Amino acid sequence: MAPVARLPDWFKEAKPDICLTGGRGSRRGFVEKTLANLESFLRDTLYGENASAKQGLLQGITPHVRIAGIIILVASSAMTANAAMLGFIVAVAAIITLASRVSFKTAAKRVAPSFVFTFILSLPVFFSFMTPGAEVFGAGGAGINGLRVSVTREGFFSAAFFLTRVTTAVWLASLVVETTTQGDFFKGMIRLPIPAFFVTALFMTFRYMFILVKIAEDAALARKSRVIRVAALSESQRWFASRATFMLKRSIALAQEVNMAMASRGFNGVVKVIDGKGMARGDFLWLGFTVFVVLLSIRF
Amino acid sequence: MEGKEIYRLERVCYNYGHQGVLPPLSALKDISFSIRHGEHVAVLGANGSGKSTLLKILNGLIFPMSGIVECLGGKVAEATLTGAFLRRFRERVGFVFSEPDAQLFCPTVGDEVAFGPLQLDLPKDEAERRVNELLNMLGIAALRDRPPYTLSAGEKKKVAIASVLAANPDVLLLDEPTNGLDPRTQVWLFELLRGLKELKKTFIIATHDLSLVEDLTDRVIVIAEGHEVAADGPRARYSETRTCYWPRI
Ligand SMILES: Nc1ncnc2c1ncn2[C@@H]1O[C@H](COP(=O)(O)OP(=O)(O)OP(=O)(O)O)[C@@H](O)[C@H]1O
Ligand SMILES: [Mg+2]
Repeated sequence: MAPVARLPDWFKEAKPDICLTGGRGSRRGFVEKTLANLESFLRDTLYGENASAKQGLLQGITPHVRIAGIIILVASSAMTANAAMLGFIVAVAAIITLASRVSFKTAAKRVAPSFVFTFILSLPVFFSFMTPGAEVFGAGGAGINGLRVSVTREGFFSAAFFLTRVTTAVWLASLVVETTTQGDFFKGMIRLPIPAFFVTALFMTFRYMFILVKIAEDAALARKSRVIRVAALSESQRWFASRATFMLKRSIALAQEVNMAMASRGFNGVVKVIDGKGMARGDFLWLGFTVFVVLLSIRF
Repeated sequence: MEGKEIYRLERVCYNYGHQGVLPPLSALKDISFSIRHGEHVAVLGANGSGKSTLLKILNGLIFPMSGIVECLGGKVAEATLTGAFLRRFRERVGFVFSEPDAQLFCPTVGDEVAFGPLQLDLPKDEAERRVNELLNMLGIAALRDRPPYTLSAGEKKKVAIASVLAANPDVLLLDEPTNGLDPRTQVWLFELLRGLKELKKTFIIATHDLSLVEDLTDRVIVIAEGHEVAADGPRARYSETRTCYWPRI
């Protein structure tokens, strides 16, 4: 028998016998919560139980045709310069949302971040110093440093148009995400005439993001299991900043392992998949409709 | 086929460089051995002795700093592992990683198992057939559409094994295959390996599981903590001297 390793003396000190009572229910730390949210968001987007299992308009269309059609619709929303046409595309997005049984709440959740971001970006456009024109809402001649701060009709319209256009594009894209499983999504992408390199890069990026978030979350849990009090926000932020490089390195190591596993099974830069069925009548109708919309948007 | 040399390693050294301020870390030193077709080899050694590193070298995933690795008559090196030889090599040699999380990267279990055959350009219907057969054989047909990350450790391991078997390799490299398996699944794995043994497949297993070694292998390579081969020979020899031998590893 090998000798049992000698435990240091302080190991033998017993803890005093006290009754453990529950403290006040502790809240989860900010960092941990953020990571958990981020992770579940990623999981939802990547592998999510979304509307893809439901019967609906988009779900009934072969994935690659579905993606192609949505790309065409996004292109139309980007090309049109006509408010009525854009309104029409918004209506189309709304109808597809309903017909694919995606809830408006989910769609709004997907769209919200880019809406807020675009809104902030387009704020200056509202005002007269960026977009001269008739005032609709103003500070009555007051100004800052001689600049008249007022909202002009032209500014309002061009900002609103821009905002609607971006929001519609994101909304349409989110419909693909909501109605397609990750597997179908990649298979669809591969079947489209998109360079294989691009699809592979996307595949690896998703894979990598997932690893990174998983590692960060594990690190947060591992830290939690070793810390007693609920850390102050600034403290956990500092801790995370100090660990960021470490986690990045770790995720790179794991990603390398994944690359090895792919190489080991014959991967040489191009992901290959089992093809789905050919195109059905519904697919042609969908494609025909989206091409019609894009032609309209070129005309108007 | 029987008895043909599959692997030949000559004075292979490997170290992990890029340790920042730390000096390069030696993981394998002067490893030489050869493995013949139909041999069932156990690679034993303490934690950190370099077993996983050795298997990665045997799978052509990393390349030694010095020394020669030959497989199926060709030299396995960064410059030579290309084109037709790379293809033949990937078709014949399969590797089950110790970390199933790293090995499973596809969106669903079905895609995962189909990945290897498709990469090797098998016809799609043949790939599909293999996926069905394997999932049924391993009793995981119900998991087909699940994303691998939602599986339990043992299920992941099964999927990892299925995904490697799908390409029907002649040589199997297994890194700690029994890790995290419940007793029943372990028995299942033993049966599977026994079946593969009857089909004259070669396997090389890095493991700490001595019952696996006793039941299924006929040769033992021991890597010492100095990262060198400490012993290499028929398994029976080690079983006899088991009591005085095992404590050393
Ligand atoms: N990616 C890496 N970077 C740096 N050093 C590494 C890396 N992987 C392994 N090592 C080191 O190389 C040595 C051999 O590691 P290896 O993983 O091959 O050991 P092992 O025999 O498989 O151990 P175990 O039984 O714990 O799985 C160890 O000292 C380890 O610390
Ligand atoms: Mg190992």
